[in-house]
Amino acid sequence: MRYHPRAGDLALAAAVLLPLVVALPRLGWPANEAGDWLAWTGRVTGILGLAMLLLAAAISIRVPGWDRPFGGLARLWRLHHGLGFGAFVLLMVHALALALAAVPLGLPVAVEVLFPPFSRGVIWLGWLAWLAMVLFLAPTFGFFGRPRYQAWKRLHLVSAVALLLALAHALPLAGETWPWWLLGMAGLAAIAWRKLGSRQARLAYRIEAVEPLARGVVELVLAPQGRRLVHEPGQFLYLTPLDKTLAAGRGEEHPYTITSAPADDRLRIGIKDLGDASHALQTVTPGSIARVEGPYGDFYGRHPSGRHRLWLGGGIGITPFVGGARDLVARGVVAAQVLLIYLTNRRERAYYLDELESIAERLAGFSVVVHDYLERGALDVAFLVEHCPGFAEREIHLCGPPAMNAHLMRLLTGQGVPRSRIHSEVLDFL
Amino acid sequence: MNTVAYTAFIAFLSSVLTLVSVNALSSPDAVVPSDPEGITREELARHDSAESCWKAIHGTVYDVTGFIADHPTPAAVMLEWCGRDASEAWDNKRPGRPHSSFAEGMLERFRVGRLVD
Repeated sequence: MRYHPRAGDLALAAAVLLPLVVALPRLGWPANEAGDWLAWTGRVTGILGLAMLLLAAAISIRVPGWDRPFGGLARLWRLHHGLGFGAFVLLMVHALALALAAVPLGLPVAVEVLFPPFSRGVIWLGWLAWLAMVLFLAPTFGFFGRPRYQAWKRLHLVSAVALLLALAHALPLAGETWPWWLLGMAGLAAIAWRKLGSRQARLAYRIEAVEPLARGVVELVLAPQGRRLVHEPGQFLYLTPLDKTLAAGRGEEHPYTITSAPADDRLRIGIKDLGDASHALQTVTPGSIARVEGPYGDFYGRHPSGRHRLWLGGGIGITPFVGGARDLVARGVVAAQVLLIYLTNRRERAYYLDELESIAERLAGFSVVVHDYLERGALDVAFLVEHCPGFAEREIHLCGPPAMNAHLMRLLTGQGVPRSRIHSEVLDFL
Repeated sequence: MNTVAYTAFIAFLSSVLTLVSVNALSSPDAVVPSDPEGITREELARHDSAESCWKAIHGTVYDVTGFIADHPTPAAVMLEWCGRDASEAWDNKRPGRPHSSFAEGMLERFRVGRLVD
């Protein structure tokens, strides 16, 4: 799959490379001997690895709106994950390459590079930083199975310790310290904001109604208790319910897609029973208070191309399209034709369908087609051609369960639809 | 990505353990004396050339003759300090910045004694 860089990616790449660019004139280029190459590799991987670690922390700040230059929060989290992975691998290469570079001087020297006397504590700080990384990354990379989401989140806080230790290791050894101060402060400030400051920025809402849509699916209707959330269609928010009677998830934040139109005076979110917290929310007490943080995501993008649109939604993945359709009604105009294909297993399970069909009847340029999996099998090219002959020329948005997304992505790219015209946000590790 | 991370983690642990084990199983090196010999300033001063270059750094004497060619700077920088106390040069690789721990680890290899008056 081709990679399409965003403006944020380029800024991030520049920041990752900054300490290396500053250090390169000093590091020079290694001589031809293997030892020199290894020592050089050890230093370069150390610099890049630490930069990645600090920037992975910096981009975890999750300030609403800051995710959009990166193509939305889901994509930003994938970049964060990739940076963490890169840092972990590169920092191990860093230690090993420096030790191996000293092998020509004798094994004791090589071992002492890794494990010097305790008087050279700065090296041991590097080891402690690595241990802290193992502690918070092992569950992320599933070394020994996956803990529960909240336990994982708490363990991920060890990253702050890893950052501090890594900086304490690098600053006394680094040739140029200012890039490390800069990136280090950015990383630590992001963690501090996430854990301490962001709570103050959450908006208070009262849960006005809990409307059942199907078994295990409800729509919460939220009334603002002060400042209201300004959002665009298809975006999502983090909801922290405070209802004391909740069996699970009280005070925990989880992401949910906004289904109301931006112009609505009530905020609506569609919630499917997919875990303890979302299960408990099915019976949350009306009248209770919830905190809202957001909006996040870039589902429909900021720069519409003017092409006709094809929306493909299934399961709880129909929610961004409900928000999109409600927005079209609220604005009363459809600039480019929109066809929504609702992929469902059984038509009677297709929640929101009645409302979507009613919008289609009222609004010229917006139409809905149901694809019934049990009746027709997986969606295929024949179905697309029958209902949307020019589908390959449209701007395509898709949202659904991972298997559905993967199937549709294969189907569409196989028909020559460029990846840049297929838009999808998967909230699977938010 | 998870599999690669886990593989890298195990490979790293294995490599470090191999390095430590092989070192532990190797016979101790006779070059580095366990009880450092006392070396006077006069004796140190006799080793002031590229043929035999000894340096005193913070009270310990090192024979760096074999390392001159491998040192990153031109040989003249190293030779300037042969036969005398080079602590100042060691502590100021660049002004105010000492040599790295990595270099410190390498230096131990060349220890021949301790400086006595």
